[in-house]
Amino acid sequence: MTTASTAQAKPAKSEHEMLRAQQWSLIASLLLAPPDRDTLALLAGLTGDDTALGQAYRVLAETAATADVDDVAREYFELFVGVGRGELLPYASFYLTGFLNERPLADLRRDLAMMGVERAEGRFEPEDHIASIAEVMAGLAAGEFDASVLGCGAAGEAGFFARHLQPWAAQFFDDLAVAPSAKFYRSVAEVGRIFVDIEVRAFALEAKTQRTSGSSAQRA
Amino acid sequence: MPRDSVRVAVLGVSHPPANKWAKRMVRPAAVMADVPDLESGALMAEQGEVRTYYMGDHAVVLHSGETAHYIDNLRAAQPSLWVSCDDDKVRLVTADPYEGEAMASDPEHLVEALAMPRAVVATIEAFIDAHHVHEEFYKRKRVPATSQYDPRAPRILSDNEKWVQTRGKAGLPPKGAA
Repeated sequence: MTTASTAQAKPAKSEHEMLRAQQWSLIASLLLAPPDRDTLALLAGLTGDDTALGQAYRVLAETAATADVDDVAREYFELFVGVGRGELLPYASFYLTGFLNERPLADLRRDLAMMGVERAEGRFEPEDHIASIAEVMAGLAAGEFDASVLGCGAAGEAGFFARHLQPWAAQFFDDLAVAPSAKFYRSVAEVGRIFVDIEVRAFALEAKTQRTSGSSAQRA
Repeated sequence: MPRDSVRVAVLGVSHPPANKWAKRMVRPAAVMADVPDLESGALMAEQGEVRTYYMGDHAVVLHSGETAHYIDNLRAAQPSLWVSCDDDKVRLVTADPYEGEAMASDPEHLVEALAMPRAVVATIEAFIDAHHVHEEFYKRKRVPATSQYDPRAPRILSDNEKWVQTRGKAGLPPKGAA
């Protein structure tokens, strides 16, 4: 999704912001559709350092190296499509209210409309699919989208994340890790879970820094 | 479902019209437990301008699922039978007060609640004794999401909740095949 953006100014983003955008894009692309052979080969080439996230990426690379593309497609079907329903329902509305297409989806659509982001043609998943929100997060991190227009304490990237992803993303990745059919996606869930944790703490740290600098500025 | 029925005779009274534009009409006025040997529509009595007709007999069908309604009816100060007519013809006689009141809301029909004869009361009491099943009233309430009785769909569908193919390639023959 998320093609048209009205954000005109594209401020230069630091390298780590672009890396964040890439991580969100990776998570989005893996949850949107099963990876093809080329993607699996690329994933198999990933390396990681000794941090938790790096280790999770190493596990993902190992799993991708041994995974068969048809098995992964079958696994994706069992997890997210299924007969009747998949094992998981990766929608914000379902996780927050227990039902699909409820108020969280309406809130998200309103925020996206204010940001000037809309669903691309030919994409039929509701916007509160985790892959769609992850794509928006990637766009925000890369500076393609601008969330500063959002009000009610949800302004900016941190606000968007706190409002639409933080309440349920960790729970979703936990569920993905223990879903009966998950094998390849268990390692994806690991990466997603750790990355969401890092994002939560980073946004909290950023808010704290802003608060202290703001108050010191007032005192000065 | 056990059912029982009692035949009752319906008498109608026709008063002279109140003005010259209105027509005479027969309103059901009484219910008798004994069915007389008369043609329906027969004139039974005439006192001045007030005529009493025999409107015919009709079955009161008792359903075992509605015994609670019959109990409500018998508990009333005056147990009644609801008679619904159109054009001097008896269409329905019921001992269920809720069915009767529902019919009364239809202006197309003439519905009267008439005193229930003793014999019919006795029959209905016997029917209630035989078939009534007491059901405790249960007020449904919202179940909190944390309750084990939460009706929501599971977050993770377990393997035994999934649809699995048992027919065709999986083993059993397709449905309808010999």
